[in-house]
Amino acid sequence: MLTSSLTPVKPIPSQSRLAFVFLAVFIVCAAGLIAILNKAGFHLMTGVQMAFMTAILAGGGILFSFTLAWRMIPGSRWGVPFSLVLALSVLLPIAGIALLFPWTTSSAFVSEGWPCASLELIIAVPAAVVYWLLARRGALFASSGLGATLTGLAVFLALLPLQFQCMFQHAPHLLVWHGGTAALLVGSGALIGKLARRARLRKQELKDG
Amino acid sequence: MGEISIDDRELRDLMTRYQNADAAALEDLVARVSPPLLRFFGRSGIGRSDAEDLLQDCWIRIHRSRHTYRPSEPVMPWIYAIARHTRLDAYRKRRRLESREVLVASIPERLHQVVPETPSEEDHFSRLVANLPDSQREVIVMLKVSGMSLEEVARATSSTPGAVKQKAHRAYAALRRALGKDRESAR
Repeated sequence: MLTSSLTPVKPIPSQSRLAFVFLAVFIVCAAGLIAILNKAGFHLMTGVQMAFMTAILAGGGILFSFTLAWRMIPGSRWGVPFSLVLALSVLLPIAGIALLFPWTTSSAFVSEGWPCASLELIIAVPAAVVYWLLARRGALFASSGLGATLTGLAVFLALLPLQFQCMFQHAPHLLVWHGGTAALLVGSGALIGKLARRARLRKQELKDG
Repeated sequence: MGEISIDDRELRDLMTRYQNADAAALEDLVARVSPPLLRFFGRSGIGRSDAEDLLQDCWIRIHRSRHTYRPSEPVMPWIYAIARHTRLDAYRKRRRLESREVLVASIPERLHQVVPETPSEEDHFSRLVANLPDSQREVIVMLKVSGMSLEEVARATSSTPGAVKQKAHRAYAALRRALGKDRESAR
């Protein structure tokens, strides 16, 4: 059966090349969106806040780009365990926001938050689709980990321009509306990955009779 | 017990030729890699025929994902990473089927009766290894049965060499305890 379907195949690009492609998409899209959207956050953040948030969100993009490239090649080497990637990408932003941003809320907490959550969704969902299109040649074994990595990268891509656009630079707003939406998106990505794997198994079972 | 290490340079050459649609290279690769893969599946606590089914499924997956192999990378971790997915999917499928079967009816007790056989050394080792937790068992099988290095096992299991070493140490300790118990009960 294997020999009958034997055709030449082109090997997938190297892990570092794949990571640079993902990173290039991240940089181009984030820079483009920052240029297009309004820049209220730029004027409202202090130098320290701006430096910290840029470092954290761009760092997340780099980390997830390399993690996604690692997931595309079975048996490839990547020194940072995925659990550590997740822990860093959750704990560092929470700690930084909690320490550097003021803990004040306005009476319009919900109505101020919805536009940010919607914008994050509007950017992250198409970005996740783009990353899936780029990664699908290698990502043969759909899983919750792959889904979480894909959406994690797309979420960082959305959070960076959102941070510079947002006019509510307070810890509760950033944690709930930016961070909470990000967590929901990554969770949904993990769930989609899990369901895709299950669907593939079912399809195979039906095929096998 | 230890598998003779398969020359990685030869395997890389075979894989590259396989990617270029060389049927002879594919046959050679199947002949070389299937025995350790069959042992890997066989140590998962399943029967020989199930292990053979898994091996066949694994080769189909290897075939479908052969473009993801990079000629500069070692072959065995790539193959074992795919084998792990195959085994994990089979385990999930089995669990789902078992849960359905239990809901339909309880199985008559007579079917569970197995004719006892005198266990060989190989069976004894398999039984001890089968009692290990999944993550420790696969590390032991890759290291000691397939003859892979710590680095190769780390790649195949998406882990780090340090984590693999730790799992192996825990598995050795568990095996020592189990052997000690067996000796005591034999006295």
